[in-house]
Amino acid sequence: MSLKIILSVGLGIGVGYFLLPSCFFQYTDIVIDVGLCLLLFFVGIDIGKQKNVFSNLKKMGFKILLVPLMIIVGSIIGSIVGGFFLKMPINEAGAVGAGLGWYSLSAMILASYSNELSAIAFLTNVFREIIALIIVPTVANRIGFLESIAPCGATAMDTSLPIISKSTNSQTAVVAFITGVILSTLVPILVPIMLNI
Amino acid sequence: MGLRLILYLALLIIGGMIGYKDLMGEKFNSKLGIIQNICLLFLLFIMGIRIGLDDKVISSFFTIGIKALFLAVFSIVFSIFFVRLVRKFIITDEEEKSHES
Repeated sequence: MSLKIILSVGLGIGVGYFLLPSCFFQYTDIVIDVGLCLLLFFVGIDIGKQKNVFSNLKKMGFKILLVPLMIIVGSIIGSIVGGFFLKMPINEAGAVGAGLGWYSLSAMILASYSNELSAIAFLTNVFREIIALIIVPTVANRIGFLESIAPCGATAMDTSLPIISKSTNSQTAVVAFITGVILSTLVPILVPIMLNI
Repeated sequence: MGLRLILYLALLIIGGMIGYKDLMGEKFNSKLGIIQNICLLFLLFIMGIRIGLDDKVISSFFTIGIKALFLAVFSIVFSIFFVRLVRKFIITDEEEKSHES
């Protein structure tokens, strides 16, 4: 699956860069929206077919909130450590990590602070999403289902959810959705907080 | 964000109810996986097109690309590691395997 994912994204980038005029961009919005809705609907069907999903979730209870919490801690510490090697200030590197994969928003929040940091946040989180899409099946197989939510960050509620659902089980898909919602809500709060540390 | 969240949630719930009540026939169920795959790969292709069309990404790719890639990889590795630390509090390995579908 990972290979097919790389090929699809890579082919898309090539076609977009070399073949299509930039005015095509506006039409992709509607395609993405419709495609995503359709996929989420299918994910819903998959989840519904597993009758014991919610009783399992109940058993896990509030402990599932540890997943988004750890993803936030890991993302921010990770980018600070990465930034250390690049000689970036702690607050700037932390703010990039606090984007949690939501590239458009984190770049927008940082735009007023610095253009370069905004561009780094944008590209870092674009990479995060692409890498997440590619490695989710492998992480799910080799490391664990819960861990496969981590690379996706905020995108676990939408663009990465279909891949998580395919690579893991219905229960993990529900945890992923909840995690994605919590992370998406926190990005606009975390990025400015990190910046002002 | 708010409206979108409601839409996504509504789709998941409607899909979930259809799946739970087995409203779709066996024939559809067997094709669901293939339909999902095709949709997913198509969506990824379109997402790739958007990245390729975005001059901002492509032009910044060569200047700050390495920096960004570095930060992205560290974020991902650390977040996987931290989730790994708490997994045993949330779920046991046997549980995960037994629910594999």
